[in-house]
Amino acid sequence: MSIQSASALSVTNIQKSFGSAHVLKGIDLDAHKGDVISILGASGSGKSTFLRCINLLETPDQGIIRVNGEVIEMKQHVDGRQTPSNNRQVERMRSSLGMVFQSFNLWSHMTVLQNVIEGPMRVLKRPRAECIEEAEALLHKVGLYERRDYYPAHLSGGQQQRVAIARALAMNPQVMLFDEPTSALDPELVGEVLRVMRSLAEEGRTMLVVTHEMGFARHVSNRVVFMHGGLIDAQGTPTELFEGLPTERFRQFVSSHNDRSAE
Amino acid sequence: MNLLQLLSFGDSGWGMALLKATGMTVILTLAALLVGAVFGSLVAAAKLSRRRSLRGLGNLYSILFRGIPELLVIYLFYFGGASVVTAVGHWFGGEGYIDVPPFLVGALAVGLISGSYQAEVYRGAFIAVSRGELEAGMAIGMSRAMRFKRILVPQILRYALPGLGNVWQMSLKDSALISVIGLVELMRASQVAAGSTRQYFTFYIIGGALYLILTGLSGRLFHMAEARVRRTRQRSPV
Amino acid sequence: MIDFPFLADTMLKLLAALPTTLSIFFCSLVLGLALSIGIVSLRVSRWWFFSYPARFYIMLFRGTPLLIQMFLIYYGLGQFPAIRDSFAWVVLRSPYGCAVVSLALCTAGYTAEIIRGGLLSVPQGQIEAGKAIGMSPWELLYRIIAPVTLRQALPAYSTEAILLVKSTALASLVTVWDVTGVAQQIIQRTYRTMEVFICAALIYLVLNYLVVRAVAWLEYRLSPHLRERPADVVKKSSPTLPTHS
Repeated sequence: MSIQSASALSVTNIQKSFGSAHVLKGIDLDAHKGDVISILGASGSGKSTFLRCINLLETPDQGIIRVNGEVIEMKQHVDGRQTPSNNRQVERMRSSLGMVFQSFNLWSHMTVLQNVIEGPMRVLKRPRAECIEEAEALLHKVGLYERRDYYPAHLSGGQQQRVAIARALAMNPQVMLFDEPTSALDPELVGEVLRVMRSLAEEGRTMLVVTHEMGFARHVSNRVVFMHGGLIDAQGTPTELFEGLPTERFRQFVSSHNDRSAE
Repeated sequence: MNLLQLLSFGDSGWGMALLKATGMTVILTLAALLVGAVFGSLVAAAKLSRRRSLRGLGNLYSILFRGIPELLVIYLFYFGGASVVTAVGHWFGGEGYIDVPPFLVGALAVGLISGSYQAEVYRGAFIAVSRGELEAGMAIGMSRAMRFKRILVPQILRYALPGLGNVWQMSLKDSALISVIGLVELMRASQVAAGSTRQYFTFYIIGGALYLILTGLSGRLFHMAEARVRRTRQRSPV
Repeated sequence: MIDFPFLADTMLKLLAALPTTLSIFFCSLVLGLALSIGIVSLRVSRWWFFSYPARFYIMLFRGTPLLIQMFLIYYGLGQFPAIRDSFAWVVLRSPYGCAVVSLALCTAGYTAEIIRGGLLSVPQGQIEAGKAIGMSPWELLYRIIAPVTLRQALPAYSTEAILLVKSTALASLVTVWDVTGVAQQIIQRTYRTMEVFICAALIYLVLNYLVVRAVAWLEYRLSPHLRERPADVVKKSSPTLPTHS
């Protein structure tokens, strides 16, 4: 833990249940500026739920979320649960956390360019010309400037996801959250999205990535978190995890993944 | 008098009257559709609500206005409305029987009925809107009002278009029933022309043909609108 | 406050007219259904000679108000001596007959479209499977196409049946004394709109409810394959295949 880099995101004791299923049993995580953290785990381990708790798309029953030092205010209820008490704060937090979804979720009634300027213009209330200028720059960066007047339905999955990344970047977020960004893509389209993500990491962006892409976890991220059964089973640098194989469960996870890629 | 003379726009011809009446039919249907849009959205919201009492009210509205014959609803508003207005008038010291303008009654009756069908259209459209796109709005920090205005409403309108086309056609035909309370729309005009010339077959055929033109044109217009909307969702680019 | 004697009296008068409404409904339902089968057969034919007239018919009756159709038949047809002298005049002379004919023609148009929708939804694969085992066209129709069409079309048809119940009210405008006709007469004489409306509306709502239940029962009877697995069937383990030992 370096003292120089500030804590961009810090969560403590995140717990979440859906009915009788206790999905998250107490997750602690600290992300510093510039960290690229890969979150791995089998389906059902709770990794997506955990990510969605950070920007309150799911509300954690217990736990504290601190973004850039600011704690999200919660009010406690009699049944032990909590809900956010300041909606305006939640909206503000969300606009400083960028999210990229597994199913892209581009707004289908808007063009690519309109998708990217919507947030800065309507939520951050910046002037339209400025937003367009920045959006075009971002689209250049992800390689989709030529398609800025296309509608999402006219683009391939990989192209849509790259637009989604540009859309999230347009908000100038402190931390980028990626929820299995390549899981819904055909194999040949995965590469173009991973390339964009890699360049973001190299720029020094703070990123939390829930993924199945071992290559990314191993070679691009600087920390790996392995979740199992709602808890963090192992975490450390990629070297520590992939070469050290510190826990039995992680060993099984890696070997089952290797088996699949060998098919 | 031959057919051409009957339909001419001159003094003895019915052409002008029929055309004016057609215009009245269109205006009446438009007014009814607007009334229906207001009530329809409210009922759809009620039916989608988490509170059982609201859902019950929404369902009650649907059952009533989809199950009771349109003619009875028109009678209720016409005779009932006149009674209410007359009572109020008497209370203020007026005398005699006060009538309610048939246009208002017609627009209200057909409107409330179309509202129950529009509610189903809006409800289905709401359910069809992708949850993911709303979540993307949340993730970017949009407030509830903004998500409603910028994502929900545009998408609902797009999904509702085919259904609304059907409701429009239905209301166009329902408007013919307003003739019974004396409003001079197309049905009434045909009736009057037929009765005074004793050429029943001729004028009812002509009236029917005019309705056919109205429904045909409307159908065509909605088709074009739907095609335009669909273009933004199809694979082939602009 | 509530005038019970008046309500009771109104209800009795309206119920006296109920048989008329019911008979109009059933006659036009049956006639319309029979006619619609003929129309849809023409509509789905490969030859434009058959399908275009059917398409025209459907467009005509779905694109114009029922009221104008009814007036055309009641007032318009009587103008022609040819019709007055024909055997059809027996039916077309009476308001009741005109109402039934008009309703039947109209509902036939809508029903034809509903049946067509059901026909188009029959999975092509099931038809091909039938052909593959050598079924004749008639067998295909009876055993595969018709059953699937029926089950698909029933929900939509229940909506149409409800519309037909409501449409019978228009018969009152060609001097038939059905429930709506009697209701309107009572309103005009007594100006007690709300009470009469409630009674008449209640009758129609009950009618609609019965129609919905009837169609739901039909749907239930015709789709055992869509129901849940019965509780008493024990899940057997799959039989082991003989091994090459």
